[in-house]
Amino acid sequence: MTIARLRTTVAIAALALPLAAGMARAEDKIDLRMTIWSANDAHLAMFKDIADGYAKLHPNVSVTFDSLPFDNYTTTLTTQIAGGNPPDLAWILEGTAADFVTSGALAPLNEAFTNTEGYDLDDVSEQATALWTQDGELYAYPFSTSPFAVFVNSDLVAAAGAKSPAELIKSGEWTWENAVDVSAKVAKAGHAGLIVRDFNYQIWQNLATIWRGWGATAWSADGKTCAFTEPAMVDAMSFIHKAIFEQKAMPGPGENVDFFAGDAAMTITQISRASLLPKGDGAFKWDLVPLPKGPAGDYAVVGQAGIGVFQNSAHPDAAIDFLAYMSNPENSKKLAQFFPPARKSLLNTETLSSTNPRLSPEQIENVVIKGIANGKVLPGHTNFAQIQQTVRAQLDSLWRPDADVAAVMQSVCDRVGPML
Amino acid sequence: MAPATSPTGSDHTGSRRRPFWTMERRDALAGYLFIAPQLIGITIFVLIPLCLVFWFSLHEWNVLAARFTYTGAANYKALLSDPGLGEVFGATAIFSLGLVVLNMSLALLLAVLLSQKLTGITVFRTLFFSPVVVSLVAWTIVWSFLLQKNGGLNAILQVFGLEGSNWLRDPTTAMISVIVVQVFKNVGLNMILFLAALQGVPKELYEAARVDGVSPFKQFRRITVPLISPTILLTSIITIVGSLQVFAQIAVLTQGGPGMSTTVLVYYLYQQAFQFHRFGYGSTLSIVLFVIVAVLTFVQWQMRKRIVFYER
Amino acid sequence: MNGELSPRMKVVVYGLMSVLLIPFVFPTWWMVTSSIKPISDIFAFPPEIVPSRLDLSTYAKVFELQPFAQQYWNSAYIAAVVTVGTMLFSSMAGYAFARIRFPFANTLFMIVLLGLLIPSEVTIVPLFRIFLSWGMVNTHWPLILVPIFGAPSVFATFVMRQYFIALPVELEEAARVDGLGRFKIFRTIALPLARPALGAVGIFTFLHSWNLYLEPIVFLSSPEKFTLPQALTQFTDAYGGAMWNIQLAAATMTAIPVLIVFIVAQKQFIEGLAHTGLKG
Repeated sequence: MTIARLRTTVAIAALALPLAAGMARAEDKIDLRMTIWSANDAHLAMFKDIADGYAKLHPNVSVTFDSLPFDNYTTTLTTQIAGGNPPDLAWILEGTAADFVTSGALAPLNEAFTNTEGYDLDDVSEQATALWTQDGELYAYPFSTSPFAVFVNSDLVAAAGAKSPAELIKSGEWTWENAVDVSAKVAKAGHAGLIVRDFNYQIWQNLATIWRGWGATAWSADGKTCAFTEPAMVDAMSFIHKAIFEQKAMPGPGENVDFFAGDAAMTITQISRASLLPKGDGAFKWDLVPLPKGPAGDYAVVGQAGIGVFQNSAHPDAAIDFLAYMSNPENSKKLAQFFPPARKSLLNTETLSSTNPRLSPEQIENVVIKGIANGKVLPGHTNFAQIQQTVRAQLDSLWRPDADVAAVMQSVCDRVGPML
Repeated sequence: MAPATSPTGSDHTGSRRRPFWTMERRDALAGYLFIAPQLIGITIFVLIPLCLVFWFSLHEWNVLAARFTYTGAANYKALLSDPGLGEVFGATAIFSLGLVVLNMSLALLLAVLLSQKLTGITVFRTLFFSPVVVSLVAWTIVWSFLLQKNGGLNAILQVFGLEGSNWLRDPTTAMISVIVVQVFKNVGLNMILFLAALQGVPKELYEAARVDGVSPFKQFRRITVPLISPTILLTSIITIVGSLQVFAQIAVLTQGGPGMSTTVLVYYLYQQAFQFHRFGYGSTLSIVLFVIVAVLTFVQWQMRKRIVFYER
Repeated sequence: MNGELSPRMKVVVYGLMSVLLIPFVFPTWWMVTSSIKPISDIFAFPPEIVPSRLDLSTYAKVFELQPFAQQYWNSAYIAAVVTVGTMLFSSMAGYAFARIRFPFANTLFMIVLLGLLIPSEVTIVPLFRIFLSWGMVNTHWPLILVPIFGAPSVFATFVMRQYFIALPVELEEAARVDGLGRFKIFRTIALPLARPALGAVGIFTFLHSWNLYLEPIVFLSSPEKFTLPQALTQFTDAYGGAMWNIQLAAATMTAIPVLIVFIVAQKQFIEGLAHTGLKG
């Protein structure tokens, strides 16, 4: 009896795997599924609009958009892939771009894009596609290239009697030292100072928006050597540490403050967050300025997201074709309402003003266009999730008043070095 | 296994011979039929998946690259050189031990208080039990607010002139916070089980003890604890096994930090498998977790002869 | 310690219980009140115990942002099916393991108990593959079949077995002498006697299913199929930032009906639980 049951067990176990692999077969009717991390109605309506347009040209193809929670987006996506149920297309975050691009999980796009009429692949800026390209082959289309900038609560800054960032920019004094001074003054007046949005003492890669001002990087350009111990990084981290614990210019760990609720002097975030600025009741006077100058000079940082097609999709060709449609010049313009585009032809004040009505032409010129043109993407690496966690765990001991910055940086490199 | 091979039954095979369908055989068939749904379910949803997990643990499985290569014991050897694993085991031990001790003693204290004959005691009983029925995710989200540096707990402490810690960020208090949040959520269950056990203790024993001038504390130690020891054993097994499976709480409250101080084994294996895409190594950790739970349960079960004074 | 308490002791017991009650009650109170505060007041320091400004729009938004009513129905019907199914199959198995003698009963019981020892994180990937091969991904089947037949049902079987063992056997013996079959005895005699334990199993099972978090995330991908705990984490703005007040409103709506049912039926609830036979 035991042996018989064991045999059935093995038989069923053996069945389970191949069945999973050979599930879907091509039929005339094609259903494409794209996983996304936005559940925003306006976004979904726009995507549906694009999908409907595509269905007019290809009546047999329908596209569904699967909103997964942002928090565990990559995890859920990976689980689906592990279970043998990959989506046909997926949004991919900049941090995990290297993993997806180098793994061979994504289908190459160059050929399909160049063969699509009116696509004009050369219009897509090379800087924007760098992260998604391997050996000259594009593996995902960067549909969102969103520069980081500083939103300022002008009311709070004025009330604290500090110079506004706009004035500082005019006099050429918009430096990190002064930005932190202004924030500290607002904090002293009873509000919060500067918030690096989404950092929360976990997503440390967002601090790149500060440390790049020192010319610091997380690792060497080839990604093989840990650079947290480099003097530039130690200086930048010391500056951040001092801003938090001595000058109290940034909310400390575990303090939850929302800039867009009007409780803080400024926040570093992507410009697409402009839609969160309150209107009506809780509205305040605000400004949008570029990142301050660091000791190493001017710099810009962008966050990116791409759309890739999975090799293991049941209909990779249909999926690539849809992606080509979705990212053609006409639809890129639609996408630009919410996601700053990577197409050079769209990077002008005129187009961007119509899609970002809340920003002034100067803001678009100085922050958006210059940011996209010069911006470097946030740090990423193959196996980023593990590296991210490992660095996060070591950095936790930095977020205390008495931390020894150099020693912590050393411990980061000790742990993360072997993984690079 | 005879019954299964004689489906026609043998009720009419003659009066001389002992009928094939004796009481025992009919009973056995009934028994198998009764347990069949569960047994088949366990085979499909527990045993086969467990075998598959073991099979995965012998492989390097990179999901994104669709690489699934047999590596033998390599993942098990990797356990030994994993720099994080020591901390993980430490955190797991502290968490489980802390949770069990705190949960059991608070449950016992509450049960003793609630077993008093007082008006309005059911209201208290209901309220103490209420977190059990609140959604776990909601409960944990709420506590993550209350435990922030500028959250509700510190505001209350401020009223008393105390400065609260940064509960979830300080390595010394993060673990305590996670344990305490979990205890408040679930202590009601054990409380009720103890309450029922306390009601089963014969009143005469206390009377006699009182007459002999035994102090209440001694009564508790000498009469109550021994008599409810079977319940203590069972609840402690359930609580320990449960504590090794705690996941959503850690994910919401601390994400395993600060440092690795609250990264317990289940959370670590979830990270390895689902976040770092190392399903092979994650499966290996699953097997480790399974072995730990099995051994612990076995040891506790064996210990029952020594710690349970009274079994009915 | 079980006699009447002196008035002074009574005050001490009441006082102690009231203080101990705070961490049990305050979080729920805070959840409910915060769900009707404007978002800026949620982060106010010190936090308000009683909200000063009301903002009830959050409750309407819950239904705008997600098919929340549908998700509510999903959670409710899944939990109901799972509860009934578990009560049926676990009481059968528990009865057999407690009462009926058959070869390998102990070995088989040990095998079933294995289910108690395996966290769902451990087997989720193979389970996903199995359900995919059955074409059941993004359906509610995994959330129904696994709890009824898989690891979560083992605890129920264990509780039922313990309860049946503790029941006096005489009634059933008499019925057997009268020639009643096993199933009839189970249905007409044993099961009615086991009502308290069944109640407890029902409660446990319902709560377990109602709170299930990891499995829905893994198995379901379209919002109209989501269950409540999963839906709770979906109230985010376009960039993944949580909309706290809306999330808390949804959490409140998830918790309150269960709390009310519990308060109304708390006597049966708690007494059922108390009689689970876990006394050993």
